[in-house]
Amino acid sequence: MSCDDDLVREFVVEANEHLGDVENQFLIIEEAGDNVDVNLVNEVFRAIHSIKGAAGFLGLTKVNDLAHSLENVLNMMRNLELKPNSQIVEVMLKSADRLLGLINDIENSNSADVTAFTVQLEKIANGAFSGGGAEPVSPDSVAVEASVSVAAKVDSMDDEIERAFAAKRAEAAQASAPVEAPEPKSVLAESPAPQVAEAAPEQANNPKKETAPAAASDTSIRVSVGVLDKLMNLAGELVLSRNQLMQAIASKDRSGLDTIASRLDQVTSEVQESIMQTRMQQIGTVFGKFPRIVRDLGNKLGKQCNLEITGKEVEVDKTIIEAIGDPLTHLIRNSMDHGIESPADRKKKNKPEHGTMHLKACYQAGKVRLEIEDDGAGIDPKKLREKAVSKGIITQDRADQMGDREAIRLIFHPGFSMAAKVTDVSGRGVGMDVVRTNIAKLGGTVDVDSVIGKGTKVIITLPLTLAIIPSLIVQCQQDRFAVPQVNIVELVRLRREELDKRVGRVQDAEVLRLRGKLLPLIRLNEVVEAPGSVQGGLENNAPEEQAINILVVDTGQQSFGLIVDSLHDSEEIVVKPLGRHLKTCPCLSGATILGDGHVALILDVAGIAQHEEIRCAEDLSKNTKKKSSPSDDEHLDEQHLLLFSNHAHEHFAVTMDVISRIDRIRAEQIDSVGGQELLQYRNTTMSLLRLENCITAKPAHAKDRLYVIVFEVAGKEVGLVAPDLEDIRDISTAIDMVTFRERGVMGSMVVGENTTRLVDLFELADIAHPEWREDEKPVAEQGEQPPRVLLAEDSNFFRKQVAEMMREKGYVVVDCEDGLLAWETLNSGQHEFDVIVTDIEMPNMNGFEFTDRVKQSKHWRHLPVIALTSLAGSADIQRGIEVGIDDYQIKMDRDKLLNSLHNFTGGKAGNNVRQLQTV
Amino acid sequence: MAMALLENPKETGVTEQQFATFYVGDILLGVDIRQVQEINRQSEVTPVPHAPSYVRGVINLRGEVTTVIDLRTVLGLPQAEASRECRNLIVNSQGESIGFLVDRISDILALRSDQITPAPSNLNGIQSRFFSGVHVLETGIVVLLNVEEALAVQGTE
Repeated sequence: MSCDDDLVREFVVEANEHLGDVENQFLIIEEAGDNVDVNLVNEVFRAIHSIKGAAGFLGLTKVNDLAHSLENVLNMMRNLELKPNSQIVEVMLKSADRLLGLINDIENSNSADVTAFTVQLEKIANGAFSGGGAEPVSPDSVAVEASVSVAAKVDSMDDEIERAFAAKRAEAAQASAPVEAPEPKSVLAESPAPQVAEAAPEQANNPKKETAPAAASDTSIRVSVGVLDKLMNLAGELVLSRNQLMQAIASKDRSGLDTIASRLDQVTSEVQESIMQTRMQQIGTVFGKFPRIVRDLGNKLGKQCNLEITGKEVEVDKTIIEAIGDPLTHLIRNSMDHGIESPADRKKKNKPEHGTMHLKACYQAGKVRLEIEDDGAGIDPKKLREKAVSKGIITQDRADQMGDREAIRLIFHPGFSMAAKVTDVSGRGVGMDVVRTNIAKLGGTVDVDSVIGKGTKVIITLPLTLAIIPSLIVQCQQDRFAVPQVNIVELVRLRREELDKRVGRVQDAEVLRLRGKLLPLIRLNEVVEAPGSVQGGLENNAPEEQAINILVVDTGQQSFGLIVDSLHDSEEIVVKPLGRHLKTCPCLSGATILGDGHVALILDVAGIAQHEEIRCAEDLSKNTKKKSSPSDDEHLDEQHLLLFSNHAHEHFAVTMDVISRIDRIRAEQIDSVGGQELLQYRNTTMSLLRLENCITAKPAHAKDRLYVIVFEVAGKEVGLVAPDLEDIRDISTAIDMVTFRERGVMGSMVVGENTTRLVDLFELADIAHPEWREDEKPVAEQGEQPPRVLLAEDSNFFRKQVAEMMREKGYVVVDCEDGLLAWETLNSGQHEFDVIVTDIEMPNMNGFEFTDRVKQSKHWRHLPVIALTSLAGSADIQRGIEVGIDDYQIKMDRDKLLNSLHNFTGGKAGNNVRQLQTV
Repeated sequence: MAMALLENPKETGVTEQQFATFYVGDILLGVDIRQVQEINRQSEVTPVPHAPSYVRGVINLRGEVTTVIDLRTVLGLPQAEASRECRNLIVNSQGESIGFLVDRISDILALRSDQITPAPSNLNGIQSRFFSGVHVLETGIVVLLNVEEALAVQGTE
């Protein structure tokens, strides 16, 4: 090619950008139909026009021709001379695909043939195609014509391919030979891309056209100048720190080393953060191609479906963006093929003819959550069970035991195809299990939920990044392993003498009794050793060891306990891939290099669970739990409490929900400044509180090592000194609110044999630092009506706590014992409310029902509803969203609840009014 | 001028290749030196659970986690204790560095292609597919290892 290579390359990048959005813009144009959005058409026109201009300048004749024809049609459209319909848009879409194909194979573009497209576009432009009066060319015949011409070209092209592959084919397996493939389209799909440059003209008709642009996009990445500048600055800092370090070492002056080390530490972590930032991309780049896929599949299958996308702006690591496309495409195809019914069927079922698919991305607890939800036919667990049994995947017994939800998860089983018949779109029996394996490789999980007749939802959780993950290093015999922190729920240490009490056997499986639940146990020893070389039970495991360490891990689908020999530090590890001989190891997800240069393998907890087949144990624990605790339905609010003691005979508890974390520190890390205790912590300082300074309590004995319970108040982290931690337990709230009541103490209860006082962390902070609250704004201005809150909560304790807290802030609170009473109060018309705060678990009418009624009613549906829970589970949250709950708050997290109230009442009302009404 | 210095294989039909030779058990093996990335001595091998039996473990090769393969197991020889003369012969295969655990490193051998004869179908009971040829020395024979074939071994468990 004669023209300057750099210019051409620039043109390719630019043209890709121009065309990036065109597809979706066409789809919007199609949807708008006769109401042409001139601005949008203009935008597309300009994009195509700039491509045409540049192509003309660079002598790319075929690109120029095609762009020109496309531009003509668009020009007529924006002048309202031509009304878009789906046939026209179809041709335009294919032409745009072709254009992109040409651009991404720019070297050969001039020898390509684009007449098939230009002719069709000309026809449209000449009005031969539009729907005015009798249609000279019916859409069907156009399609046929197009595919015939494609087939013809494929024939001639086969010869070339054949020649090119002659040598290769001699040794290659029969199947890969392109000519034997049954239909022209799949010929193209299977021919290796580089050699079939000439085949490009036909690629436009091939739905798998995205390969070319994808390849183009991963060669370079856009980074904001801001991030680059920051990196540049940091590089400067790094050099500076190095110079200081060299100087200090040369002069043998060790006094400054600490400062230099901490500076290096800081700069390094900032560099790491910024570099990770450069790799983050919006997930919208993956989502972008789905509207087209849904549309094309809809046409092919005779179904109608709208794709709604939310959360395009969610950013995840480049590697994840690249890897998530295929699994998502597969899931969307599945939904279209099996989920969404045909318009006729949908009509019969009283559903709108247009199906709806919702693709959603959001952040959730340091991960990305993707949801693909359709309102289609749903999955029938009964059929899945039957099929699984008939295919010999599970036994009849097992099928009978299975819950519906678990039965639905059978679709992830290898060799299981959801489709009753194999179709072109999906259902070749390699489906969901591949999706699951691919997502598991990324460190993510997939789950599925489905209601027959209502629809199916697939939920994928993914880590934000793959490159660096915080992990806990554990030891098992001679070797160290890394367990990703995201999988770890908690660590349990069992003393020898507790073993019998806490560890039991259920049908040959070892289980751990943990807060009334049974948790299957797996010994890492057994997992990592060759089968046969392990003998003995827990007792022989580590004879000299005083205690046994159990990692409670969660795979997203199940949790279990993993017994390890010892625990090391928590480290941020850099994930390195394993070689090709080790790709099949079921329990490993990679390797890392530790600080001392040794290799540590990264455990894949989902893989371990699968390998050890602990599903059964999980079922057992479920069943046992049902039998052993019928009190589940008695609406006792269980509190997740951390028990600790300050003085040997004084026991205290705080609710886990408000604790950010617990740190173990050395006493000398505490500085005393102006009568205040501060903890030096990760380059900042944190205020410390001591119980004896705030409430009536005996002072703690001085100890070398202390625990600090860290929580957040008014945006600051505060630590409460807790010399001895005792346990974490779920305790139902039978709380005496009289005997020990004082500021900072909510009440008392008996745990085991000890009277334990329940401490209110926020009040403690208030006592110690009243100045933190001073700058808070009152909930309402002087003279205004205070906002009125309707509170429904069955537990006496919580009702009083929450009501009092809100009243203190100046809200008028009417409190009710359950949903039904609250509903009656609301309807009695005695009060006008501004916001409803409700518990979820309540007798007579629970929070979901209550909210549902409120949101269905004419008068009250405008009222915001805040739901209170002890611990917000995602299933609950989902249900809550469905009935219309506006916000979820944790009962004991005062700051956040008040914030939320403030937001919903818009800061209306005064703090001078205090009213008390109880119904 | 530089062109003239280069060997022209077409003229003579004979090319010269260099082989790194090493012992596995009693067998002297050779690998084309262009495939050898380095030879090192590293005793810290981290075993990998559930790995195929011929995988000795992984090592840290300057920040890269590298698989070490026990050539004895691949060739079907009995396992041996690690000795002081054991080395990792790191080869480059399909863009990946992979180590072969060998018993002892020997010389580098320059062989002309006409000095190499095809491997017999059976060599000390080892399948011939692992070998690309044999060279007869005065003291014995050098068996040339087919690296890709040795790495493609599967399921010897």
